[in-house]
Amino acid sequence: MMSPTTLIRRIAPALACIGLLAIWQVASLVLKNDSFPTAIEAIKAIPDILSDRESLINILASLRRMAMGFGAAVLFSIPLGLLMGRSRAVAAFFNPLLMVIYPVPKAALMPIIMLWLGVGDVTKTLVIFLGVSLPVIYHSFEGAKGVEEKMLWSGAAMGLSPLQRLVRIVLPAALPEILTGCRTGLVLALITMITSEMIARQSGAGNILFNALDMGQYDTVFAMIIVVGAMGICLDAIFERIRARLVRWSEPQFDMPLSFS
Amino acid sequence: MILRLISANVILGLAPIALVIASWQGLVSFGFAPAALLPPPGHVFGRLLQQLVTWTFQLEIAATLIRLFAGFAIAVVLGVSIGIAAAASPAINAAVRPIVRVLAPLPKVALYPALLLLLGFGHGSKVTLVAADALFPILLSTYYGASTVEQKLIWSAMAAGTPRYEILFKVVLPAAMPSILTGCRIGLVISCIVVFLAEMITSTDGLGHALVTAARTFQAVDMFVPLITISLLGLILNALLGAVRSYLLRGFPEA
Repeated sequence: MMSPTTLIRRIAPALACIGLLAIWQVASLVLKNDSFPTAIEAIKAIPDILSDRESLINILASLRRMAMGFGAAVLFSIPLGLLMGRSRAVAAFFNPLLMVIYPVPKAALMPIIMLWLGVGDVTKTLVIFLGVSLPVIYHSFEGAKGVEEKMLWSGAAMGLSPLQRLVRIVLPAALPEILTGCRTGLVLALITMITSEMIARQSGAGNILFNALDMGQYDTVFAMIIVVGAMGICLDAIFERIRARLVRWSEPQFDMPLSFS
Repeated sequence: MILRLISANVILGLAPIALVIASWQGLVSFGFAPAALLPPPGHVFGRLLQQLVTWTFQLEIAATLIRLFAGFAIAVVLGVSIGIAAAASPAINAAVRPIVRVLAPLPKVALYPALLLLLGFGHGSKVTLVAADALFPILLSTYYGASTVEQKLIWSAMAAGTPRYEILFKVVLPAAMPSILTGCRIGLVISCIVVFLAEMITSTDGLGHALVTAARTFQAVDMFVPLITISLLGLILNALLGAVRSYLLRGFPEA
């Protein structure tokens, strides 16, 4: 049996969603603007989008690109971050380069990369990869740097090779911090995905959104915003579940993600 | 000895940057990439210097900076005040927490079309987007900093007879300052990126617009120039914030 307070805590996000939609509904009724449909009109337009074959294919293509970019970035960034955290020379080698790349808007590289690789999947996946890598590298680096030396010494004393120490001691110890980075990366992957599709209008969720804007189908615009928002919230909730499973022993520092763009 | 160690690290750090520029130059001069698609680095940086002194380009930078600062300032004011309020009062916390949980993972760029429809194509929609994106990291780190203030400090202030609202400004805010500034740093980089993207999507001026114009006319050199400019701006602003940080935190041990 759940106590009333935990019950309230469970449904609080849902209540917040309903509250925000209610504020939207009231605001649009008050403003009476043609280009600002009410929340109910927007929600009514969602089934139309989701039942349309072409837009469904578009949304799935977006998700596929995002998964590929995110997966590649995680596989590349975690080893690099861990190496940087454990070896001072590797850190000194990569840190300045990463510092210079950090404030570059990754999605803004789209037009340039498009010149070389075309407007297809490769370009968009590459941009997502670039966007996700940096926070994951940074958090893996911080996590690996904070591993207690004594554990590594004991590992060395028991005859583990440097590689074994990295995989069996540093990786688990840095996992909570790495997963924080991955969560930030996930939010970022979604942002980069939408932005890249807005810039290269060819396929995907961002493409539906901005085409609807250009054609003045305002309820589709707002319905797509709800769809994309729901995607973000669901992915974040799923990730949080996995995270809680993997690092049950560690207290979460933030229970909400810090988003980077 | 220490000085030599630092300079060795600096050389090691500059190596990959030099390597990137060298391979960029190599790609062009050995003919792997046509100069129309990948202009040589010397050409790009020359163009950058040449553009930086022209009036029109300075106007573009100014337009971008105005939007960036307006959005960032709104985000700082809202983020710090909501964050402190949520840490100080359980009632506000109960209301803010679920709303933040829902809104924080939402990709804010997706809201941009809605903002365009509501606020028009001018400064308003871009400033709001920047503020919305920079708000959450600042809010969350303020909340985190303010809720981990040592209880003993607050008790001593209360024992010394400080009124409740003054405790907020004299104890909680300074104690949360390191965390707030970390949030501001993340928020600042985000602001730089988002303002550029918003200008790329729809704008009539600003650095992002300069990139899109260049892309439409396939002027590869002019595409690199705004991109490098915004990255430089990000680095400069980040360094300025670092200076502000070391000034504000001059009493803290770890700063």
